[in-house]
Amino acid sequence: MRETYLGSGYDDMKKRISVVWILTLLASPMFFPSSGFSQGGEETRQRSLLRERSTGYYQQYEVRPRNQRALLEVPGLTPGGLISYSPTGAVVRVRARLKDSHMGIRFYGSSRCEECHVAQAINLHTVRARITCRQCHGDEPIPSIGHYYSPLNPIRRHAYLCAKCHEGASISYSSYIIHEPVAGSQLAKENFPVLYYTSGFMVLLLGGTLAFFVPHSFMVGFRELIEKVKSKRSESRKGVEKGREGGESEEEEV
Amino acid sequence: MTSPVYITRFTKGERLFHLCLMLTFLIQSGTGFSRLFLTTSFGRTLTALFGGYERALLIHQWSGVVMIIAFLLHVVTLLPKIEWKNLLPTIFGPDSIVPNFRDVQQIWRKTLWTFGIGEMPKFDRWAYWEKFDYWAVFWGMPLLGVTGLMLIFPLTTTTFLPGWALNIIAFLHRAEAILAISYIFIVHFFIGHLRPASFPMNEAMFSGVMTLEEAEEEKPAWVERLKSEGKLEGMKTTPPASWYRKIYYVFGCLALSFGIYLLINGLIFSRYVNLH
Repeated sequence: MRETYLGSGYDDMKKRISVVWILTLLASPMFFPSSGFSQGGEETRQRSLLRERSTGYYQQYEVRPRNQRALLEVPGLTPGGLISYSPTGAVVRVRARLKDSHMGIRFYGSSRCEECHVAQAINLHTVRARITCRQCHGDEPIPSIGHYYSPLNPIRRHAYLCAKCHEGASISYSSYIIHEPVAGSQLAKENFPVLYYTSGFMVLLLGGTLAFFVPHSFMVGFRELIEKVKSKRSESRKGVEKGREGGESEEEEV
Repeated sequence: MTSPVYITRFTKGERLFHLCLMLTFLIQSGTGFSRLFLTTSFGRTLTALFGGYERALLIHQWSGVVMIIAFLLHVVTLLPKIEWKNLLPTIFGPDSIVPNFRDVQQIWRKTLWTFGIGEMPKFDRWAYWEKFDYWAVFWGMPLLGVTGLMLIFPLTTTTFLPGWALNIIAFLHRAEAILAISYIFIVHFFIGHLRPASFPMNEAMFSGVMTLEEAEEEKPAWVERLKSEGKLEGMKTTPPASWYRKIYYVFGCLALSFGIYLLINGLIFSRYVNLH
């Protein structure tokens, strides 16, 4: 009896306590600070406006939103779709992830960059801004761009290098291709098809316009010259005839 | 001998737009070439003329802004000229500068005429080469203006376009500029200055008038249309003042010589530069 009394009372109390506990646990998240308060990746309306549409990265908060690809994709540029640091670099991509990209090259110490990288040595940055190779690629050992700790690795290139001169450079901005291939070349067709076909279109437009209008207007000018000379000759002939007639009449008068 | 009758060819507004376009275009091509040819002696001479590499760019940008504003103003002044109730005839009619099928026929007949076959086609108010001049600029200006603005603000551009688009944009800007410069300094200058009908200078774009005799020869269909509509009397004006004529002759010849200087040097030094 006693046991049952105690037991039922005890059971009731236990039940009540457990109900209170469960309710408290369920309600407790309401009193915790929001999980997003300390994180930068939360998407609010304002933040999503600050996002670069081209990369998915935030402009001011260097946090990648969910479900966004990490790097830019250039159609047809690389098989994997990710942008390479340079389309002309495709020929030396074997050395793409080395800590010292020139490791094992003979007589490396006594050679200059432009002896091997002929095409890469001429670009707007070197010719116009007089930037040297090492100002971007760094001191020895020069790591491959794909190496994780390289300052030219696309994950930090914009902040480590581009922003040195171009204040506020973003990831998207830094995917500008500095060592671009010659626009109409085979190299461009393979590595930067958009540039290749743009140049093809512009050459057609330029060539087509000039190929018609230059010869056409010169021909028109030439033809007009002929007509002018003809009309002048016929006028002068008429004048001579008139003069003769006048002369004759004068003679008659005399 | 009777004094020639003058009729209005261009309004004051149209001449002002042409003058503005002339000045900005010459500045743009000069500063643009100064930067494109920087590695050559020609480019360095030009750069010195515009006060250095950076200042040439600054002049180029502001002159471009003036160009864009003038273009927008031009488009605004065009809007009231469109009769919205009578849209198709105003757009494809003889007074319109929009190309139509008649122009294709006239190109063909004029080409035959240069070989001595057939009669010269009777042109109306705008001949096909004048229409092409206009539309070449009308297509080139937005392209150069938009790509130019994108290059002035590359950071803003790359928020909605990937960075490699800047390569394409820069290429487009240069290629279209080369196209515009070669067209204007070869074809447009030839038609406006060297063609026997307009040698040494076609004054209509500066004086705004042309003689009735010239109009009857160059644009017989236009004169006939004006006569049949009874508008010819209203078009008659006075010839330009002699002081004004002197000014625009000197100005036109200066512009011509600067253009030819750029063209010849550009051709000579073209093998030393790339379009990228």
